[in-house]
Amino acid sequence: MSTFKYGDEKITSREIMIAIPSMIIAVGILTFPRHLAELTVASDGWISIIIGGLIAILLTWLVAKIASNFPNQSFLSYASTLATRPVAIVLTCFYVIQGILITAFEVRAITDISHQFLFNETPVEIVGLTFLLVVVYAVSGTRAGLFRLNAMFLPIIFFTTLLLIIFSIAFMKGSNLLPVLKTDLQGHLQGTMKSTLSYTGIGILFFYISLVKNPKKAPSRAAFGMGLVVVVYSAIYLTTIAVFGETATANIRFPLIELSKTIEIPGGFFERLESIFFVIWIMAIFTTTAMALDIAVMALNSIFPNANKLKIIFLLSPIVFFISVLPQDFMDLGTFGDYVSYTGWGLTGTTAILLGILYKVKGAKKRGK
Amino acid sequence: MTRSSLIRRLKLKKQQQMKQSSKTSSKQIEITKNLDENIKNLKEVLGDPGDLIVRELIIGGIESRAAIIYISGLTDENLINNNILKAIQLNLKEFEGEILEKIHKEVIAVTDVTKAEAMDEISFAILNGNTALYVDGSETVLLLGTIGGESRPIEAPASETLIRGPRDGFVESIETNMALVRRDIKDPNLRFKAHAVGKRSKQKLVVCYLEGITNPEIVKEVNRRLETIDIDYLSDSSYVEQWIEDSFLSPFPQLLNTERPDKVSSDLMQGKVAILVDGTPFALLAPITIGDSLHSMEDYTQRWLTASLLRLLRYLSAFFALFLPALYIALVSYHPGMLPSTLAYSIAATREGVPFPGAVEAILMAITFEILHEAGIRLPKAIGQTIGIVGGLVIGEAAVSAGIVSPIMVIVTALTAIASFSVPSYSVAITFRTLRFAFMVAAALLGLYGIILVYIMVNIHIVNLKSIGVPYSTPFSPTFTKDWKDLILRSPITSLTERTTYLKPKDHRSKDIKPE
Repeated sequence: MSTFKYGDEKITSREIMIAIPSMIIAVGILTFPRHLAELTVASDGWISIIIGGLIAILLTWLVAKIASNFPNQSFLSYASTLATRPVAIVLTCFYVIQGILITAFEVRAITDISHQFLFNETPVEIVGLTFLLVVVYAVSGTRAGLFRLNAMFLPIIFFTTLLLIIFSIAFMKGSNLLPVLKTDLQGHLQGTMKSTLSYTGIGILFFYISLVKNPKKAPSRAAFGMGLVVVVYSAIYLTTIAVFGETATANIRFPLIELSKTIEIPGGFFERLESIFFVIWIMAIFTTTAMALDIAVMALNSIFPNANKLKIIFLLSPIVFFISVLPQDFMDLGTFGDYVSYTGWGLTGTTAILLGILYKVKGAKKRGK
Repeated sequence: MTRSSLIRRLKLKKQQQMKQSSKTSSKQIEITKNLDENIKNLKEVLGDPGDLIVRELIIGGIESRAAIIYISGLTDENLINNNILKAIQLNLKEFEGEILEKIHKEVIAVTDVTKAEAMDEISFAILNGNTALYVDGSETVLLLGTIGGESRPIEAPASETLIRGPRDGFVESIETNMALVRRDIKDPNLRFKAHAVGKRSKQKLVVCYLEGITNPEIVKEVNRRLETIDIDYLSDSSYVEQWIEDSFLSPFPQLLNTERPDKVSSDLMQGKVAILVDGTPFALLAPITIGDSLHSMEDYTQRWLTASLLRLLRYLSAFFALFLPALYIALVSYHPGMLPSTLAYSIAATREGVPFPGAVEAILMAITFEILHEAGIRLPKAIGQTIGIVGGLVIGEAAVSAGIVSPIMVIVTALTAIASFSVPSYSVAITFRTLRFAFMVAAALLGLYGIILVYIMVNIHIVNLKSIGVPYSTPFSPTFTKDWKDLILRSPITSLTERTTYLKPKDHRSKDIKPE
């Protein structure tokens, strides 16, 4: 029943703004301070985060701009108009694969981390499978429902992160942040490369903008959403470095979880809060995973418009599960994650540049006539 | 997919049944000019019941035979004796021409009089408590509005008590209930759209809304759904609720029930629709969202600060009611390290003699409590106290000293129970009770991880759920920040100048600012 307009399958630009942080913030938030601290001196990593963030904001804006030029059109249809249909189908297929890979990576990552922090006797496969089943349940629902879910979870995630930073203040040491600006250019460059990996997932805009009723504001809203992520990342990075120092951060596997282990909540009712914080970050990881799978389903559905959505989901989820159990250990998983992120950037960047250029050329032709 | 096809199949089946039933009940009995024959026919239709009163009489003045027929118990007998019987017998006028017309206009002192010529109409009116006046030699029958009989007086609602606020509650008579709403809202735009529901019971159902405020789409949708109701008898408005709700698989109530006329009136003012059903004191309100589940009328009768704090307290107790036993299971069985060491030791010490794991212990106690709760409701008040004593022994001292549960578990169970009673609506409290068990099972299987997965699933369900087309997760998401003024906190009455925006009312402002 669609009695009310805001109840239908259409979304608003504000929901796109919320979807971006929900998509970007995932497992990466738990590990990125380590990668950055390895490459930069003291607190200098924030520069890499900001530069990487600016690149990400730019790409977000570009992708949203291209997509919003074709309101209410699916990626396949406007990509076919700009490039040719075969090219569009190949690109869409890449997005299907990308969606499957991200889903599999997140499922596996959450399995490993829960295994380490919550329980170590339950078989890993069960942990991963239950998570995947909940993801499947979310994707089987309405797409607008997924966006509403983002809006319900994101404030909780931001609030928890803020709480974590506030409670860390007591443990910060100013000396840990110094010296400032001692990293060489090489370090900054590598750091920026590494930090961009934490901004994977911009590609969803190619698909989700088609659901926006009036996408005029979508590019700026999406860019703003990305801006929020940059702020959150910088704050987390600085807090981690201030509490642990550069060397320790570089050697901690999950600096953010370690941070929540350190802090104390007054009242003494709970000790060792990492489980509580981790459980709330599961929500952040969940929204990412659900959207990634949804993109795969949506892309596949655009190629086969007559296929039943549920059938596609039931076809994809075993593949996801199979891929998720493939990595042998945590090193393997890290490589897998990097690979997924690099291909994500490559794919989104290539598509954006390709379609952007084609749009300019075709637009110029039209104007010429 | 499967659900919609199931519904379609059910609908097809129903249509076929309806076709058959309309064929069988089409015999019509004519009204004749002969009084005796008419009475005989009527008795035959109604099966000559013991409570059918047939009073034959002679109309004074013209000496014509007549009869008044009614069912005792459904009628106001004083009215029949004084204004009908006496008036006809003591009449001294002599009529010429159409007798019935003259009696109607000059003799009978009853306001609601209609004429009828069909047997169906007459029998239905009599069963409703009207009185039929047959006059020999006339093919028309007068139906006199004498509906009355015993009914419960207006009392304070039993299920929603307030410290401060109006004391009247709905009763079983729909006319009284409509009057109660009218007494609150003296607005000519208050609309009562009547439906007849119940194929055999023919109960009156009224959709109540404010023209010019309520979004017409909501009213249209509610009316459309009500028209699909195809059932013999509705013992309560919950039949309507279950028939028109958006998802019958959901544990969440999608229409709110209330016994309070003030609640109905204030929700109508916000742009909601109320459904009143004859024979039940429970009115239905729609559309509702997750935010309404923890609101009480008390929030508006107390000052805003008190009300906001009470609401926060209620949110906290909802959290306890949902999660406390599950958290106990998760912490004791999976994450004992999360508790401060001294507390962890003392819990471990008290659990020393307990033979069961935390999950079994918690589920055992929760089920015991549910049984006690259910038994307490069903028992007469006099025996109810016994249950209290027995229950106190079972979940209290005895269970602990027998070594079946630990003292901390007793605290958890008691706190959960008290917390779940502070949820203002019983149907929402039941939802929480159901979900609590889901959380407990999840915690027993996967600890905190299981709890968060079930929490995510509940959220997925809520964002996909709708109440009369309005997403259940509104105004959190889709976000309507203006409605947040009266959501978790209740801001001062002077600032609540706009109607609930997610209901898209036709007229936004609820208070006009007076020019200075």
